[in-house]
Amino acid sequence: MPERTMEAPHGGTGNDAPGAATPPVAVGPELARAFRDVLPADLVITDEVGRRSYECDGLTGFRQIPALVVLPRDADEVAACVRVCARHGVPFVARGAGTGLSGGAMPVADGVVISLQKLRRILEIDVENRRAVLEPGVYNLEISKAAAPYGLYYAPDPSSQQVCTIGGNVAENSGGAHCLKYGFTTNHVLEMEVVLADGSVVTLGGPTGEQAGPDLRGLFIGSEGTLGICTKVTVRLLQTPETVRTVLADFPSIEAAGDTVGDIVDAAIIPAAVEMMDSLSMEASEAATGAGLTVDAPAALIIELDGPADEVEAEFSHLTAICERHGATRMHVPAEAEERQKVWKGRKAAFAAVGRISPDYIVQDGVVPRTRLAEVLTRIAEMGRDAGLRVANVFHAGDGNLHPLVLYSEAAGEHDAAEKLSTDIAELCVELGGSLSGEHGIGTDKACSMPRMFSSDDLAVMHRVRHAFDPDDRCNPGKVFPTPRLCGERPGPYRPHPLEEAGVIERL
Amino acid sequence: MTDTITPRSLDELRDAVIDRPGTIRIAGAGTAHDWAGTPEPADTVLDTTGLSGIVTHNPGDMTVEVWAGTPFGALQTDLGEHHQRVAVDPARAAEGATLGGLFATADAGPRSLQYGSLRDLVIGATIVLADGTVARSGGHVIKNVAGYDLTKLLHGAQGTLGVLARLVLRLHPTPQVTATVAASCERSAMAGLARRVADSPVEPTAVEWHAGRLLSLLEGSESGAEARARRLAEILGSDAAVLAPDDATQAWEAHAAAVRARSDDRAVFRFGVTPSELPRVLDALESATGVTASPRTGVATVALPADADVVATAHRRVAEAGGTSTLRQRPAGAALPAFGPAPASATVLRAVAASLDPDQRFGRGRLAPWLPLPDQTGQPTGVSA
Ligand SMILES: Cc1cc2nc3c(=O)[nH]c(=O)nc-3n(C[C@H](O)[C@H](O)[C@H](O)COP(=O)(O)OP(=O)(O)OC[C@H]3O[C@@H](n4cnc5c(N)ncnc54)[C@H](O)[C@@H]3O)c2cc1C
Repeated sequence: MPERTMEAPHGGTGNDAPGAATPPVAVGPELARAFRDVLPADLVITDEVGRRSYECDGLTGFRQIPALVVLPRDADEVAACVRVCARHGVPFVARGAGTGLSGGAMPVADGVVISLQKLRRILEIDVENRRAVLEPGVYNLEISKAAAPYGLYYAPDPSSQQVCTIGGNVAENSGGAHCLKYGFTTNHVLEMEVVLADGSVVTLGGPTGEQAGPDLRGLFIGSEGTLGICTKVTVRLLQTPETVRTVLADFPSIEAAGDTVGDIVDAAIIPAAVEMMDSLSMEASEAATGAGLTVDAPAALIIELDGPADEVEAEFSHLTAICERHGATRMHVPAEAEERQKVWKGRKAAFAAVGRISPDYIVQDGVVPRTRLAEVLTRIAEMGRDAGLRVANVFHAGDGNLHPLVLYSEAAGEHDAAEKLSTDIAELCVELGGSLSGEHGIGTDKACSMPRMFSSDDLAVMHRVRHAFDPDDRCNPGKVFPTPRLCGERPGPYRPHPLEEAGVIERL
Repeated sequence: MTDTITPRSLDELRDAVIDRPGTIRIAGAGTAHDWAGTPEPADTVLDTTGLSGIVTHNPGDMTVEVWAGTPFGALQTDLGEHHQRVAVDPARAAEGATLGGLFATADAGPRSLQYGSLRDLVIGATIVLADGTVARSGGHVIKNVAGYDLTKLLHGAQGTLGVLARLVLRLHPTPQVTATVAASCERSAMAGLARRVADSPVEPTAVEWHAGRLLSLLEGSESGAEARARRLAEILGSDAAVLAPDDATQAWEAHAAAVRARSDDRAVFRFGVTPSELPRVLDALESATGVTASPRTGVATVALPADADVVATAHRRVAEAGGTSTLRQRPAGAALPAFGPAPASATVLRAVAASLDPDQRFGRGRLAPWLPLPDQTGQPTGVSA
């Protein structure tokens, strides 16, 4: 897990944190036996050391040791495991690679973790039809690697793509730097096989975008493991673009960089990617990667165009002219693929690199309408000053998706202030007309902020739909939706309005 | 007795749903009134065309919120003033179809090759449920994973499950230039030729076969799109040429006209299969006429004799090839099967319908038999939530 250096605790506030390790009730040997009837004994993990390695995802502050972990090897075994859970009335949590950053794959107390790690086959690379059929445990980057010999690739590219699974991507509707032009997981998944809470198996979606009946596929994508377990995915593959042109441009201010993005949009150019970094994140990343970032520039943009050569060349000169007009102080145009990779490494390694300039940090994920980027960054800077904490910014500027990194020192007792600042930033995004999350999901982390974005009626309707799939709350319970158990214990801004809460909680 | 009501605000819409007892048929401009399942007679027709116009348009954010009853063509005209568009092109738009109607019927046109359908462009919605609940999902930003993407449920719901009040859409810039390359080609040769288009680097927005020609649409900048069109014509060889602008317009209009054609004795059948299955399935539909086909997406629209056996056989043939099919416009009164065999996921559909509209007030019959009519005793069908 090269990129996952999130040793910083996030979310836990000592013993009263919702995720604090409470030792699970010893599972009856009966349940373990029932799983051993459908799986070889070594694929049913009951010992504490084994179970402990599944206690959290990338958001390490939320922990819960599961009652049992099972490692099915194919879709039939997944369905058999789910049926065992159904028979015993036990909740379960699907788990891909555990790189999620919202506590989505955190186990539930007395529940089972169903790991998809052994479902790792690429079932088909269908060149003629430009699609790939995958088991859910296939790593995102493996898809593009398998497709590359045919001049094809899989577009959504989360920064964690070497280590996250396509099943996790489906559950989170993951995005990546190139999603501005190409869209998110939901735009690339055609068809899925899903095991429902009762162990039955259905196919959602179809071989084309053509739909007969409601888009159940689209509903499932991004549902964070709460509607079932995906056991097979068919994704679209795209042709590798003829030309790729990238520029790394430094700007005298964040505003100048932001205005540049606005003018690019106004010029009807849709870049494959537009990423922004501020000086703090560049300082960290440069120390870690030597990617060639200018550490004392207030802001930099990495802009990439791809497509047919005739189109890209014309747009690229337009693009660099726009950068110049906004006072770009340096423009670096990598000449070869290798050099381009280096620039991207500087961007993609930013989260982890922040560990070099701060003992602890929190990765936040929020979205604002793109035209409010400058405003939100000014507000974040002010909030950071008030809290006495530094905030580094790395983000997908093209679609307004921010990743503020709140830097703090656990040892200096700054944890709670950092936690509060981070939450306030996500909720500020909602206030500015945006969203609590652009790609990391709600999970356990932000469930209590959901009432900031949605009314109790909105949430109640989502709940009705959830119960249509999973009437007994067995799939990943306690995630996405605010629960009294989780949020009742949370201090400060997490607490939803009591009236709103009443409307929601009735249905839980 | 059917009564028509035309609400003009969200409050009026919600009140209409709460105040009217009984069943409701949701109607937009009526351009797809005879698509999918035949609706049961309803107590009330809820006409959405009073909910019309742009709610907010932020050109800089490239998003727009629109009332669902807005005619799609009018919306495109308004957005065009800002050099923006909703990047879908369903044939019915020319007949005055509303945005909500296009969404509910999951309609899409040739540009779906590049942009997908409305499900790929919608980023939020406000819906009204049968019990009067007003619910929002998604939001105003293109990137957003907070909560379920409930809006997707209404895409293809054919006027069941809930009423769309407002939709928020992602916009794209209007291309400076569009150019079309036409290559004459028998239907049997379209797959191979389309593969050559796809394997070339020109990145077409649409590739469609109609009336003995393969049409490729190139969109982009002034210099870029034309250069790409010339390049493609060269790659495809002597039978291909870049069409003059008027000829291109005519070719695409003829294509759209075939898709929306109505006749007295034929029904329009729309299906999608993997591209490699498409030629085989088309060949098997022996009585098909008026064929338009997208050899790279695998979606085709054909006219079949309005005969229940012929249509049922066509549905079955598509299902055997792993695809999906829906019957569209048909002669008035023709009793023809709307869908193929119910997939396993119909159980989920029924459970979702039971949770959102337990009495099946909205669009009764539209998704039948996948969503069966409530039984004699008036009990809702499906699993109770
Ligand atoms: C350094 C770093 C960078 C990241 N960058 C990005 C980024 O750029 N973009 C982005 O979108 N995300 C990013 N992430 C977040 C994370 O990698 C994604 O959310 C990813 O999709 C999670 O995949 P996973 O296999 O690790 O899933 P897990 O963490 O194991 O699970 C995530 C959720 O999915 C559910 N789940 C997993 N598999 C299935 C299945 N088969 N069926 C049903 N539900 C399932 C789980 O129950 C859980 O709720 C980053 C994470 C890290 C650590």
